[in-house]
Amino acid sequence: MKVAQLLERRKVRWSELEAMCRELENGHSRRLGAVGVLRFASAYRSACADLALADAYQLPPHTVQYLHDLVGRAHNQLYRSRLFQWQTWAHEMFRRVPTMILFDRAAWLAFVIFWGIFFASMALAYSSREFSLEVIGEEAMETYQRNFSQPIAGRSFEDSSMMGGFYVYNNASIGLQCFAAGLLLGVGGLFITVSNALQLGAVFGFIFTTPSRGNFIEFVTAHGPFELTAIVLSAGAGMRLGFAIVDTNGLSRMASLRKAVDRAMPTAAAAVVLFFLAAVIEGFLSPSDAPYAVKAGVAMLSTAMLVFYIVVLGLRGRIVDAD
Amino acid sequence: MSGMPQPPRQLDSRIEIVTPENIAFHYVVAGPFRRLPAYIIDCLICTTVLVGSLIGISFAFGSAGMFAIGFGIWLLIAFAVSWFYFGLFETFWNGQTPGKRMMGLRVLSVTGQPINAMQAILRNILRAVDAMPVLGSVAIGIPLYMVALLAAAANSRYQRLGDLAAGTMVVVERRSKLRGLSQLSHPDVVRLALDLPRSLAVNRGMAQALSLYVARRDRIAPARRYEIARTLSEPLAERFGLPRDINPDLMLCALYYRTFIADTAGSAVLSPESEAAEMAAAEVSVR
Repeated sequence: MKVAQLLERRKVRWSELEAMCRELENGHSRRLGAVGVLRFASAYRSACADLALADAYQLPPHTVQYLHDLVGRAHNQLYRSRLFQWQTWAHEMFRRVPTMILFDRAAWLAFVIFWGIFFASMALAYSSREFSLEVIGEEAMETYQRNFSQPIAGRSFEDSSMMGGFYVYNNASIGLQCFAAGLLLGVGGLFITVSNALQLGAVFGFIFTTPSRGNFIEFVTAHGPFELTAIVLSAGAGMRLGFAIVDTNGLSRMASLRKAVDRAMPTAAAAVVLFFLAAVIEGFLSPSDAPYAVKAGVAMLSTAMLVFYIVVLGLRGRIVDAD
Repeated sequence: MSGMPQPPRQLDSRIEIVTPENIAFHYVVAGPFRRLPAYIIDCLICTTVLVGSLIGISFAFGSAGMFAIGFGIWLLIAFAVSWFYFGLFETFWNGQTPGKRMMGLRVLSVTGQPINAMQAILRNILRAVDAMPVLGSVAIGIPLYMVALLAAAANSRYQRLGDLAAGTMVVVERRSKLRGLSQLSHPDVVRLALDLPRSLAVNRGMAQALSLYVARRDRIAPARRYEIARTLSEPLAERFGLPRDINPDLMLCALYYRTFIADTAGSAVLSPESEAAEMAAAEVSVR
């Protein structure tokens, strides 16, 4: 058979496949119907076969190019992106993530670095005003002192919702940036973690030297546990990515990174959830005129929840894995 | 032979994918400058959504005297849009954002399979690193994407860091039109085609050369055609026992006719008159 006749015969099938691709690309998969979908699959397979035999048929190069493009297009419609699988995500969140956090050296490293520098900076700022001036700056110091000079009087629901939105936007963004920066061989994440810990510690230390300390403590108690854990977790997840490129454990750098992604992504997701919870508390409870006992109670409750999540669920997940 | 340098597997931006049907087909990976327009379109869409929703919310909540609540909600929207616009679109639109769809790009796994939700979200959260350095503030800054450019320059699939971590790449989904065979039915071509030996067998390389030549000869000046075609037609004419001064262009067209269109005069497809006229004109000028 000559190519001309072959092309004449195949052209119908190909243009049918092309038309079906166009429908699917525009999201009209319903319009094809069950029969149409079956026809699509068989038309795709026959286009594949034609491409495979293109050499044997001696098809001209531009026809081969057309077939490559057509098969690629149909391939992308046949094999589609997988969406969220909620069941596996629940398993991830309550089984794998706690275990991974508990036994993840990068998370512990982030924990130690963050809190170590936090307390060191706090001590320095408490003992020397120059240190606070250097780290926080005079203007910011005055602002902090002024903001917490009055007892917390409570705030309207409206203002609370606005600030809640702001905390999600601002804090979760910082957390995600911290995670992303970890990819730079861990150094980027380290830098952001250290600078955050320095700043925060200095603010704490400085405020303790002023009469505003009572109000300040009352403000930060309730949302502290969630927020600070979240920043440590996202930094740890980012560092896991960065360190995986450096210490490959015998894998190629790419394979090592891919493997680390599998561990780091759920941890980062957990951190975003924590940022949300912290923002809600920070927006509504922390600035409210609720008695300090309530705020302290929330802090203790959230700390207990975190310990339960990371330690208890983490250990259980490990036991289940061992079985 | 072991001392010979191995030719690189991939010289251009084309990569080969093997499907579950065991077929290998080619994709063209999209470089930075194909992706930039798509990115700009997406940024414009994001900005429009953010500004539009801020105006809408201001009117809706402001008229009720609750602007602060509305602004809080808008900040949530801003967070979602700035971190998850790309990721969610790529998840639900099968690897495309509106910008990518307009520019005919698609994100795929490096294995050629579609991406999953985790890959889509991850590659776009890590955009924060790829976008560095950012001119101006973080909220309203111009990302320079220097990190992404460096990373893309260092690998053959133009992957930025987010792509490398998520195991994804961006390909061009081309939509070429099917062009039929060149219509050659000038009487001289048909006559010569039938004069060629019965036992003529054209191998693969020759068939490719012929179809490339015929597909492009319309765009080549007659004198140049003569020059190009002569290298192939002279030895062939000698072998087939045809006169040496036969028009090389005519010779190759006849071979093309025999290889791709028909063995006999009966099954020839008729062509428009203009083609024949052009052929004749070409021959006159060659002589």
